[in-house]
Amino acid sequence: MAMNDLERLVSLQDLDLMIQETDEVAKLGFNVTGYDELQKAREELANQISRPLLSRYERLRAKLKRAIVPVKNDICLGCFLRQPTSLAARGREDEEIFTCENCGRMLYWLD
Amino acid sequence: MRKSELASHFNPALFIPELKATDKEAVLKELLDLFVKEKHIRNSAIVLEMLHQREKLGSTGIGKGVAIPHGRTVAASDVLIAFGKSTAGVPFDAMDGKPVHLFFMVIAPPNDEGNVYLQILGSLMPILSDAENLQRMKAVREYNEFIEVIRGE
Repeated sequence: MAMNDLERLVSLQDLDLMIQETDEVAKLGFNVTGYDELQKAREELANQISRPLLSRYERLRAKLKRAIVPVKNDICLGCFLRQPTSLAARGREDEEIFTCENCGRMLYWLD
Repeated sequence: MRKSELASHFNPALFIPELKATDKEAVLKELLDLFVKEKHIRNSAIVLEMLHQREKLGSTGIGKGVAIPHGRTVAASDVLIAFGKSTAGVPFDAMDGKPVHLFFMVIAPPNDEGNVYLQILGSLMPILSDAENLQRMKAVREYNEFIEVIRGE
């Protein structure tokens, strides 16, 4: 699938969460023999993201654990603060990456 | 997690008594389409990508005719489970190499209170390792019959 920057970041975080939870999932009895392949996929995806944007993602991840969070009903699901109406309208339509004014996480609108 | 609590995470609108899909990719798409149809997910391509990556980690076909495709994604806000059944069975690269008849797709947001997502996966495993439960599930035609098995009734 052809992704924009925002979608690449979403996929990168999805991958990072998967990698983080590999041990827990393995303990439940799931097959996780492809761990190295997953790390490789993570590296390949990260290489498709511009260096400044990737650095921003990594900094946020180091500080807040989750760099990019869903927004539902205009609420940031990272800190539960309502986003300004003007930002919400643009966040839904634009490919530009917006951040929560309160917690600083990057935002992905679900609705 | 108690069985009654696990049952509360299922939904009749996310239930397919007979899947049309005959291959792995089509099963993932057919189940994912339920989430889109019910407006739980807007961007199915992102979630499908996550599920593809999860299959790289190892097939979620756990054997005995069962698969539990699962993962967290920024593209979801709630923990959701869809169920689909294939009487004929679908090749899914399962651990025992056998076709899969029962599919449980578990999608979760990046964070969820009480880590419900991992609790759901952990609660499903013992239910799905019981041969009698599997036989009953393979025979279900309606949601009520299915949820009775989950509830242990």
